Amino acid sequence: MSTASLRNAPDDVNADKVRWERAVPVYGFPVVNRFFIVLCGMTLLAFVLTAYRELAGLGPVSGMNDAYGWGIWKTFNVMVLTGLGSGAFAVGIAAWVFRRKRLHALMRMALLTSFLAYACGLLLLGIDAGRPWNFYWIVFPWKWNMHSPLAEVAICMSIYAMIPLALENIPPVLERLWYFDSRLRPGVERVERRLHSFFPWIIAAAYLLPGMHQSSLGALMLLAGERVHPLWQSPWLPLLYLGASTFMSFGCVAGTTMLCCLVWKRAMDMEVLDEAARITAWLIFGWLALRLLDIVFRGALGTAFHADRFAGVFWLEILLTSIGAWLLRRSLQNHETNLMFLGYVLSSVGGMIYRFSPTTLAFRPNPESLYFPTTIEVLVALGFVCMGIAGFLLIVKRFGILPAPLYEWHDMASYFRFRRPYIRWTGYFKHGYYGEDEAEATDSD
Amino acid sequence: MAITRRELLTTIGKAGVPAAVAMTVIPQALQAESIPVPSAAVGLLYDASICIGCKACVAACAEANNTPPDTRGDKLHQAPSDLNDVTRNIIKLYKSEDGSAFSYVKRQCMHCLDPACAAGCPFQALYKDPESGIVRWDEEKCIGCRYCTITCPYHIPRFQWQGYNPRVTKCELCHDRLEKGLRPGCTSVCPTGAVIFGPRTVLLSEAKRRINNSPGRYYQSRIYGETDNGGTQSLYLSRVPFEKLGLPELGPESVPARTLRWQRRLYQYFALPAVLYVGLVQVIRKSLKGHEQEAHEREKQTGLRAQL
Repeated sequence: MSTASLRNAPDDVNADKVRWERAVPVYGFPVVNRFFIVLCGMTLLAFVLTAYRELAGLGPVSGMNDAYGWGIWKTFNVMVLTGLGSGAFAVGIAAWVFRRKRLHALMRMALLTSFLAYACGLLLLGIDAGRPWNFYWIVFPWKWNMHSPLAEVAICMSIYAMIPLALENIPPVLERLWYFDSRLRPGVERVERRLHSFFPWIIAAAYLLPGMHQSSLGALMLLAGERVHPLWQSPWLPLLYLGASTFMSFGCVAGTTMLCCLVWKRAMDMEVLDEAARITAWLIFGWLALRLLDIVFRGALGTAFHADRFAGVFWLEILLTSIGAWLLRRSLQNHETNLMFLGYVLSSVGGMIYRFSPTTLAFRPNPESLYFPTTIEVLVALGFVCMGIAGFLLIVKRFGILPAPLYEWHDMASYFRFRRPYIRWTGYFKHGYYGEDEAEATDSD
Repeated sequence: MAITRRELLTTIGKAGVPAAVAMTVIPQALQAESIPVPSAAVGLLYDASICIGCKACVAACAEANNTPPDTRGDKLHQAPSDLNDVTRNIIKLYKSEDGSAFSYVKRQCMHCLDPACAAGCPFQALYKDPESGIVRWDEEKCIGCRYCTITCPYHIPRFQWQGYNPRVTKCELCHDRLEKGLRPGCTSVCPTGAVIFGPRTVLLSEAKRRINNSPGRYYQSRIYGETDNGGTQSLYLSRVPFEKLGLPELGPESVPARTLRWQRRLYQYFALPAVLYVGLVQVIRKSLKGHEQEAHEREKQTGLRAQL
């Protein structure tokens, strides 16, 4: 098999039709750059402030008070960002359950972003808890309050992130080990076979559990009753939260992938992106329909026309999501990636506002109380987001995550072979002909 | 491969037979569920119309619970502005806009028959004592999530914002004093008998006696807490509307029963999630087979190791 026939180089006849066929590590860009150092600095700062918070208590570091018991650590980093990080759930269901096969190209991105969002969110959840040492009750199921939405969220989320989601993220690691040293291959292949035999059970759990806890996040505020503004308080809150997480996470996965392609100069597969945009647009339309019908049938529509902050937030959210959906539909006509990206950003921000509102923007425990996060609170929240981004930048440059056309893999191989021959630790290039069979490789040379 | 949705639906349909059985059983089980009144339910009866606002109960409460006096206001007097991390009991004053009506109100835990705080508490740190019905807090189980401060419709539990070992503070009806045969701190000092302690049934009949003795004296001639929010063990009588005293009109159904009905039904016995899980496994097993096959074909075409 000659190498030339495998290539789908940009100067080929089919150059305009890019096909993402393989997840290829980002090469030729150093991990440590100025941006990465800033991210690490922010993370370190967050850790230092966290230590201070553990000693001083929540009062001195945060703007939380008796009326607003939950601050942005819970309401933004957990309730909003895990919605944004539900890609493994939403894209996964489209790819594995509804068999949108081309979306498999996005799966590794979805799994990684989900894992990072959940990991950072759960860490911050532990920091936000006042008495975190009592979390050990989580291992005694008979002590759980099975009907508490918060127990559902805390338990289900940790189990999901630690077991099915972590296991789903193992294949890129195994792949890297496989390429790292040919002596590891039999072992790696054995582990892979074992993993694949469990895969249906793992993947199914990875869809059931987020479905449960993403909806329970909405159920959290049901108990708050009247104190959540009628535009948000609804028996359908769990379903609306779940729906928002699906289109937000589609936007997060596809948007991040597009951004990465832009930054690291990768070709975009418009077939995959169009499919994702089409699905996202329909998800948003469905969600908006449910949201508006719910408001109309509960008779809360009148409050949307009061001149207050609640109506403002509501219309902002509706406008952002509907314009986002319209831009996504619009971008399908001529494959305009800039419109598509903007559509993802707007709709995701709209979804984020929705998920943020019931706990904070539309939560009115009493007229005289206010909540505004303090600087330390914001720095810690940002620091944990930065940690996720830094982890993402590190991982996409060391593991095959980002989808790319086939030629990218061969280009990567020649890049390391001829321009960085001294690099051994990248893993992919120590033995063999960069993934092709060793014996064949020596022949073709 | 093309009939994925139909396949999904039929698989779930097959698996849904036991689900259907479960779903028919569950609503009956739920309807049968009425809020039980604990056998030895004790509580407080507070009559706002005879309270003189002396705040002796506030001081007695702090003493009984061994909490430091809250002098954070003016650094001199024990004058907390609201319930807080060292104040389990407080007297507040309601004055109407035109000054025509005023009333004191004593705020402390209502000890609901179906408490929302305990319904939301993830590890049962807030729990209802099965005998006395006192809603208590267990420091061994509390993770400090502060969900109780959000769920409680009366906004009673308060979190301690200072320090590395924060506690949740709320009236626990002086359960340690009750064990010693004493009355709760607040009721032991009240000079006018505005707040009295006793079994819930006795308090209810006493409140009804007062309403009957002076018709028209009390707002709507009713006891707040007899049925409100599913019934509470702290009962209130007042001349001004209860809402003005911070006791919202919640209806006869308890907050957890009303808001978590579907949540509870869907997770009953974990039947529905289990059925869904089995259905998903079947569908995914099939897609995995197809996906693996394609990956291996591509491996043969490209000579590169398959990526799943």
